[in-house]
Amino acid sequence: MRFARELRDGALARALASSLPALVARGRSYKLMEVCGGHTHAIYRYGIESLLPDGVELVHGPGCPVCVLPMGRVDDAIEIARRPGVILTCFGDMLRVPGSRGSLLEAKARGADVRMVYSPLDALRIATENPQREVVFFAIGFETTAPSTALTLRRARAQRVRNFSCVCNHVTIEPPLRALLDSPELELDGFIGPGHVATVIGARPFEFIPREYGKPVVISGFEPLDVLQSIELLLAQLAAGRCEVEIQYRRVVGWDGNQRAREAMAEVFATREHFEWRGLGSIPYSALRLSDAYAELDAERRFALESVRVADPRECQCGEVLKGVIKPWECRVFGTACTPERAIGACMVSPEGACAAYYSYGRHVRDGEPTTTTAV
Amino acid sequence: MSSERSCITCSDAAAPMRVVEVELAHGLAVCVDADGRRQQVDVGLLDAVALGETLLVHAGTALAREPA
Repeated sequence: MRFARELRDGALARALASSLPALVARGRSYKLMEVCGGHTHAIYRYGIESLLPDGVELVHGPGCPVCVLPMGRVDDAIEIARRPGVILTCFGDMLRVPGSRGSLLEAKARGADVRMVYSPLDALRIATENPQREVVFFAIGFETTAPSTALTLRRARAQRVRNFSCVCNHVTIEPPLRALLDSPELELDGFIGPGHVATVIGARPFEFIPREYGKPVVISGFEPLDVLQSIELLLAQLAAGRCEVEIQYRRVVGWDGNQRAREAMAEVFATREHFEWRGLGSIPYSALRLSDAYAELDAERRFALESVRVADPRECQCGEVLKGVIKPWECRVFGTACTPERAIGACMVSPEGACAAYYSYGRHVRDGEPTTTTAV
Repeated sequence: MSSERSCITCSDAAAPMRVVEVELAHGLAVCVDADGRRQQVDVGLLDAVALGETLLVHAGTALAREPA
């Protein structure tokens, strides 16, 4: 809140944007991926694309955990929620994500006790207040959110809360980035790196991108001037032929992240061998489960879940949107069969989903270029 | 960002919040956001927090301090 006014200043943004054309070679195109859904949201909300020179294109990445969760996991959540005596807790955006037989919100309408929480700590409190019920927290999120789940599970174990458990859907950032970088469909020139994931894991884990793939990364904050400056830093690296990890979001991010968060995650979680991503398919070692030390709090074991793999809806092109191969408005069901009110794909559900952001900010003209809204 | 519609699971929901009560024995604090909304926050990832400090909070956990 201290910096919000300065970092949303339109005049400063235009001044910064005016320095960008000098960094761009005539006739060359630049594809920069913003990994994080939070950046996608800021880019649309503040009209940042309209400030960029010709040839610079932003590609929206897979960094929205709601958008990448496959239908089978939603079905699992509904399966647990329907059991007698269960209270299923989750973040609000999960409620509307469609599974193969409807959403959690629809399960709630049919009588399941599904409750929205703002934190795993809230879910644990519901468990202590309802000792006769089984309270399950449906955990999703990248490394930004995983520490919060880890601390709460530690707390549940220390307090011997027997009626609390967790379905762990946490994912990690490196494997999907590698999958994208290995994908022949996509030629990227650089990455706007996720600022709050890096707050937890540090900037160092992103060094494989310049080292192994020869692409620059700038770890960015989430205000419009943060994002613009990150684009400037990326273009400056490309202009100078440099290729490294830089931290734009220095007021929060360091090279090594938060050691206590990393320790808590290492204690509570273990890596899954396989995990299905919506639109991206199975990516090995890309997600977390509860470690054996925390098995008693693992809802998948407690409820003997038999996770089924459910194919993405055929008409949905979330996968191509998540990989940046097509723009949201190029999807065949965008804004017609698939809207935020009744989504087919998860990218239309979360406000940070690329499709919902396009739709919400009026960038959904289907024929030709999307419309633009007022810049910053 | 706290007063805007945003998704809690995405990292832009890491919101600056001010510490108004500290329960150090439990590793918790009560914080308020820019709109005055109160939330109990796990502060176990940070060195001891003090009243009046601004923390960056995500999903009920303080990830970092906002620089003074």
